[in-house]
Amino acid sequence: MTAKDLIRKLRERKGTVLSVTLHVLVLGWGLVSFSARSLEAPEDVIPVDISMDDTSKMMQGIKTGKKENPKPLADKIGETKPIDDAVGKIDRKEVVTSTSAPDPTPKPVEKPIEKKPDPKPEPKKEEPKQAEKKPDQKADDPIADALKADAKKPPPKQETKAAPPQPPKPKERTFDQSKIAALLDKRDPSRQAVAGETLNSNAALGTPTGHANALVATWKGAFVSAVRRCFNFPYNGTDADQFEVDIDIQLRPDGSVASDPVIVATRGPSSSVSRALAESAKRAVVQCQAYAFLPKNQYDTWKYIPMTFGLKDML
Amino acid sequence: MSKLPFVTRRRFMMAAGSAAALGVSSARGQGRLQVNPGESQLPIAIPAFVPGTAADGQVGADIAGVITNNLRRSGLFAPIDPAAFIERITNIDVAPQFQSWKQINAQDLVTGRVTRQGDGRLKAEFRLWDVGTAQQLTGQQYVTSPEYWRRIAHIISDQIYERLTGEKGYFDTRVVFIDESGPSERRVKKLAIMDQDGANVRYLTRGADLVLTPRFSPSTQEITYMEFGQGDPRVYLYNIETGQREIVGNFPGVSFAPRFSPDGQRIIMSLQQGGNANLFVMDLRSKSTTRLTDTPAIDTSPSYAPDGSRICFESDRGGKPQIYVMAAGGGSAQRISFGDGTYSTPVWSPRGDYIAFTKQGNGEFAIGIMKPDGSGERILTSGFHNEGPTFAPNGRVLMFFRDPGGNSGPSLFTVDVSGRNELRVPTPGYASDPAWSPLLS
Repeated sequence: MTAKDLIRKLRERKGTVLSVTLHVLVLGWGLVSFSARSLEAPEDVIPVDISMDDTSKMMQGIKTGKKENPKPLADKIGETKPIDDAVGKIDRKEVVTSTSAPDPTPKPVEKPIEKKPDPKPEPKKEEPKQAEKKPDQKADDPIADALKADAKKPPPKQETKAAPPQPPKPKERTFDQSKIAALLDKRDPSRQAVAGETLNSNAALGTPTGHANALVATWKGAFVSAVRRCFNFPYNGTDADQFEVDIDIQLRPDGSVASDPVIVATRGPSSSVSRALAESAKRAVVQCQAYAFLPKNQYDTWKYIPMTFGLKDML
Repeated sequence: MSKLPFVTRRRFMMAAGSAAALGVSSARGQGRLQVNPGESQLPIAIPAFVPGTAADGQVGADIAGVITNNLRRSGLFAPIDPAAFIERITNIDVAPQFQSWKQINAQDLVTGRVTRQGDGRLKAEFRLWDVGTAQQLTGQQYVTSPEYWRRIAHIISDQIYERLTGEKGYFDTRVVFIDESGPSERRVKKLAIMDQDGANVRYLTRGADLVLTPRFSPSTQEITYMEFGQGDPRVYLYNIETGQREIVGNFPGVSFAPRFSPDGQRIIMSLQQGGNANLFVMDLRSKSTTRLTDTPAIDTSPSYAPDGSRICFESDRGGKPQIYVMAAGGGSAQRISFGDGTYSTPVWSPRGDYIAFTKQGNGEFAIGIMKPDGSGERILTSGFHNEGPTFAPNGRVLMFFRDPGGNSGPSLFTVDVSGRNELRVPTPGYASDPAWSPLLS
């Protein structure tokens, strides 16, 4: 069939072609918009899932990270910390590393005795790769995952067979009376491994879309935590929540205080207490400098910081 | 198109959630970072005062000890154990090595020196340092007779307290109370006075007659109290310095529950009239007496507002004892206590912000505070028997007495107006009915 014949046939069946084209467009649009939303989600979660001390680190990319890999690594993949197994709970049944996906099924690790050693090695699970390729489609919606998992009805033991790269040597089963507390601890022993040593599991160059808002919120939290460490104010009145002082702070690019913090306003039922509070706050800002963790490339956002010091949590 | 608002809103909510957890919030909508204190107790280091001569070593250590005890008992300071000190202060005229005090997490440092002058008097100097910024916050020196070294320690404590909290201290004060001794059926009650920390107890009466409800004058070193003498119980006035004692007024019948006006010129009290009691005020200079209430009820325990414009008192005119407030010159009274149980022994805070009371109900006696309009009632402590609150001169701490019952006897306690930091006050024996003096200096 020549191209001309094809064109002729198409002209003859205009309605069909139009219908097919429209369907493709509608479905395609649906797919694109659907996936676009879910792609964004993990990035949104990143700035929230932070610890107070390491907020900046958590947002920071790694220079050696691959540009084409902008997604954060799944937290639970990779090396786990050795678990302090009180009795070598079960032989040849290594405590398994969780996979990247949230595990909707209860972990059978809690009842290791009931588990039979499974001689058949299960086929390797695909989660690690999936997590790298399409992490957004995976971990984004735990409910959907749970439904999928139900549909497949995987046997519980399969869930835990994540095939660690190097199975640890089987421990000899022992009983140590001094570790009874650990024996009674029914929590997942792998929780320590999940906590991991590496706080920065985001082996990427950083989020490519540049979430400036989230970053600002992050350094603010870290800055407040840092100042708070030096801000102790003794007060035992019942009207603590009425005291506030506004203080403006100017910082140098290295995070040190550029000039004497300025008391802009004081509020509270006692002017002498407000004044003491303001002076105490100023001293705290000076004492805890330099705030070297502040992101240098965002100096414009923190070279001048208006702050309010209060006594709200003291009742 | 719909993606952006979705993501933005979600991110905003996430960020707001994490910000709230960190104590970050926008203050007054101006994008200000909000910071609240990490701790409400200030870590402070108070090394022994440097002695001028070896003979002054003990008093140097004792002064630091009294200051440490005062600040610790306030609940607002956390004095650091001297065993942790790295630097040994030997000269207070040179700046301390701040790094070594930072290392032990001291936020403030008190250095001092005691020397004996040529006339035998004791000179005490101190400096209060902010460790973080290496600046001196205050420094003073005092000279006194050696036997008043505790007083100097209290005054320095007040200086430190005021400089760091912005409020007047209450350490250089005394407490008058009823010392109780002997078995419960033959209890001997003596009027006694001591420093607020329980030191320097002195007895003002010998215990032959029963004494009750001592109250300090706000402006002088006088106290007024009720004593059961040979005849009817009477209100007395007693000068602590001279030991002089006199009956207040010459009323028929029983006079009781006296208290000074804020200017110290008048005494307000109850006078028994038949089965009733009414409030009267007597001018101490002119000796003129004015009736304030005239009800067929028992009106008692009057206490002035610090500005002298109003009084609060206890009355059972509504059927059971409750707290009322009225103008200092008399007139209509407004009931302010409406909770379950009965309310008695109201006392107005020297700050004016609260009225403290004893509340009885459900077989317990509680100490509480409420605002002068009756709102904001807050119970600070409760139990079998707590009674008789009295405010520290800065209005931040209350003292009261607690009687566990049985063969035991009462003890004195302090508690913050926030209800925290309840502490027993050491006394030589049983003690009740405390009254806190104004600041001595």
